[in-house]
Amino acid sequence: MLMTLLVVPLVLFILVIFLWPVARFLALSVDNSDISSNLPQTFAAIGDWQPSQGPPPEAVLAALVGDLANARHAGSDGVLAQLINQRLVGTRFLVIKTARDAAEGRLDERPVKDALLAAHPGWAEPALWTEIIRARGPLTDYYLLGSLDLQRSPAGGVEAVPADRALFLNALGRTVWISFIVTVLCAVLSLPLAQAIVSAPPRWSRVMFAMVLFPLWTSLLVRTVIWIIVLQKNGPVNAALVATGLLGEPLTLIYTRFSLYVAMVQVLLPLMVLSLVSVMRRVPTNYMKAALSLGAPWLTAWRRVQLPLIMPGILAGSAIVFVFALGYYITPMLVGGPTDQMISSYIAFYTNTTLNWGLAAALSVQLLLILMVSALLFWTARAFMRSPAEATQ
Amino acid sequence: MKAATMRSVAMYAYSGILLAFILVPLLIIVPMSLTSGNSLAFPTPGYSLRWYQELIDDPRWFSSFVNSVVVASVSTLLSCLLGIPAAIGLAWGRFPGKRVVYAIVAAPLVAPIVIVGVAAFSFFASIGLTGSRWALILAHTALAVPIVLTTVTASLAGFDRTLVRAAASLGAGSATTFFRVILPMIAPSVISGAIMAFIISFDEVVVASFLTTGEQRTLPRMIFSGVRESISPAIASVAVLLVLLSAILLALIGWLQGRGARMRSRTAP
Repeated sequence: MLMTLLVVPLVLFILVIFLWPVARFLALSVDNSDISSNLPQTFAAIGDWQPSQGPPPEAVLAALVGDLANARHAGSDGVLAQLINQRLVGTRFLVIKTARDAAEGRLDERPVKDALLAAHPGWAEPALWTEIIRARGPLTDYYLLGSLDLQRSPAGGVEAVPADRALFLNALGRTVWISFIVTVLCAVLSLPLAQAIVSAPPRWSRVMFAMVLFPLWTSLLVRTVIWIIVLQKNGPVNAALVATGLLGEPLTLIYTRFSLYVAMVQVLLPLMVLSLVSVMRRVPTNYMKAALSLGAPWLTAWRRVQLPLIMPGILAGSAIVFVFALGYYITPMLVGGPTDQMISSYIAFYTNTTLNWGLAAALSVQLLLILMVSALLFWTARAFMRSPAEATQ
Repeated sequence: MKAATMRSVAMYAYSGILLAFILVPLLIIVPMSLTSGNSLAFPTPGYSLRWYQELIDDPRWFSSFVNSVVVASVSTLLSCLLGIPAAIGLAWGRFPGKRVVYAIVAAPLVAPIVIVGVAAFSFFASIGLTGSRWALILAHTALAVPIVLTTVTASLAGFDRTLVRAAASLGAGSATTFFRVILPMIAPSVISGAIMAFIISFDEVVVASFLTTGEQRTLPRMIFSGVRESISPAIASVAVLLVLLSAILLALIGWLQGRGARMRSRTAP
């Protein structure tokens, strides 16, 4: 009983300081309350009216003027204008100016229709009303669809956004592709090193292991910045290439996909080596010896005997590297070029720069789903791999 | 046999090259940071300590260093206060749902850091804590506590629990048992865990960039904004100092772990 109580504070802390904030943020991906709560009278007045039936009725416009005046008094007109503008670009000032006029009583005459449409003809636009009607309810699929380059068609179905606005599927594919390449590079590069660490004499093994571990505990930011310094035009790598005559003049190495791979592999490689070493240490050396003494060529012996035995380590290491790579932000941002940005950069961009929280949350949902699915895939693959490896032990 | 020797030579040679790839960048910036020139270039035109002097002279670098130390120290303390009891509970307690507890506590480790940063920003803004150092301290505690938990849990796995019963039978209360029996035994792991927690907070930049502005800027945050403008040699000298700090702290952890292993082997039955 006492033992259970000891765990409670930590669990509560993580729930309140970590899980609740994340859940709350992710919920913004379907949240529509900033629109629905600001236009209650308008939505009530709209009822069954559709823009296809002709211009908006007097009751709807009167309700709109009332809602906008209230929003202006409550200080929420800016948020509302921004959200409507996200759905139909170019409507921000229409909403803000109408709200100001409504709040200052310039739209009080009845019928309001003539005065409103004379001052702000944008409200006669059927496309705007289509968007407003679609945004009624407390929940919306607008952001989640948007994060997949989809939108609602005027008829209400789902369609692809115009090609010039399609952005996220590309970014998503790029994120998965970069993570995949980094994972494969880490696995292939690490195998001989991990083998060397396992088969070296104990003293050397410890030294090599420490050398691998050390970068893991230096700041990610520092290691990333170091790559900018090392790969820049007048940095040591270019200096060495020019001095040895391999290059006539310095090459642009930094802010490219190449520099991104170099930096990410250097940063993530130790994690791969770590899980390879922990599995390799448990694999007896006499299986390889037996295969070789029975006349198998080395490569065949390695592929048929050693590889299956260390596969759980490769999969565990790949899972860690892949999942970490998916969420990378600092490294692509600092050493990659504009076309090398990963999903995380977009999440940061939409929260910092355009304050489009809904879209940032939708992209986060997407990133977390990919992360969970890939973790699950690795876990399943490992469960399948484990049986032959354990059968031999 | 000859082929085997060649393979083994190739393997060690390759390992040497790969280790160089991992480590040389961390070392090559040492001479670069000692440049006497106005920009980072290799080879350096001459050597001087002027960029290290610059770090001392510029109050922004110093205050961001102080901020980082304060945030990391308090986060470490909180991580230990939450993590050590929880580790004891998880290692010795018998209750359902242990795996759920582990999953909850490990969540901050695997969540993409941008999501953590954005979520923390929106949460702390909603309770009016933005611009306060506490927001960053609490967020960093969540990121650092898993490492304290795992290190301490690991050392408790090899702990001889008869010692606790012996202490109780001799009349020690739970507090006395904890401070006089348990804590001295697990101290090396606790200190290792605390050092790692400190490093995690001290090096963290993404959450810090969402939660801090101006006055509360931490050192990594300061480097981050410096890199986006143009890289001054001062950044290289901070990088050198940070790598050095990690090296010292890691050496300390290595020494503590050796000590912990010796201590356990001495008391083992």
